[in-house]
Amino acid sequence: MTVFVTGGCKNGKSTYALRQAAALSAQGLRYYIATLVPGDDEQWKCVQNHRAARCGMGFATLECPTGVANVADGRDTRGVFLLDSVTALLNNEMFASDGAMDADAPSRVIRDLERFLNSVRHAVVVSDYIYSDGMGYSETTRAFGRALAEIDSFLAQKCERVVEICGGIPTVHKDIAETKHYEGLLCI
Amino acid sequence: MHLIIGGAWQGKRDYAMRRFGFAAEDIHDCASDGAPDAAARCVDHYECYLRACADSGIKPRLGFAADSVVICQDIFCGVVSADAQERAWRELAGRTVTALAARADSVTRIFCGLPVKLK
Repeated sequence: MTVFVTGGCKNGKSTYALRQAAALSAQGLRYYIATLVPGDDEQWKCVQNHRAARCGMGFATLECPTGVANVADGRDTRGVFLLDSVTALLNNEMFASDGAMDADAPSRVIRDLERFLNSVRHAVVVSDYIYSDGMGYSETTRAFGRALAEIDSFLAQKCERVVEICGGIPTVHKDIAETKHYEGLLCI
Repeated sequence: MHLIIGGAWQGKRDYAMRRFGFAAEDIHDCASDGAPDAAARCVDHYECYLRACADSGIKPRLGFAADSVVICQDIFCGVVSADAQERAWRELAGRTVTALAARADSVTRIFCGLPVKLK
């Protein structure tokens, strides 16, 4: 089972994703694909919070700030892989430390994620829903948003289950195990 | 009238074209062409038209043909702006889209490319 989890920030996506991953790995190992490269104390605190949240759950951490394509190679592919988050991964792939932008990053990340998802049985992938704002952002920020949206749409298509988290509460938008109303709409 | 709503870059226009069989020339884009064309089968970026309405004090048009489609970006979930014009836009847009949704035959939210039926 592959699961795509998204929603607003600090709304319980990672907590839900940990539980979802644990539920998927009755057999096999649990891997946590860590993407954030902490740039300051606040981000270090965020990393520590995430580590504390999964402490005792038996996750092996795979540090993978870029190039996620082969991250599962040589691992127990019957296990579960939790990637948190696509947002940090894209940021690492798209922007150099001097701020230079790599326009090829979005299509490269999609290719890498496809390779990764095809190589595993169970995966949970976390992103951030940052698209319902009316603010006039800079061209660079808009390029990042557009790129993340492209990746999210790919993941929503590719994954077997799509869950939006709001206030810690999941809304399932897609589940191949169920026939949902949107399937009819898709075919019209 | 059918309303399609969703965040930026979610695939709203592609979905409208797929579901209703529109070609690109059937779509009137308010982001570049201003007020909705009464003859257009589909109006995109309705929120841009509402911005123009808010900026110039015009009452927005709510009447659309029975089989037409209105696409509007969800601009409502961000921080309330310190700028009065931005706030006026958001207020007008929120109230207008709510009224439009009330009279629409169907309302569909597009979420990461997936259509979610709201009405």
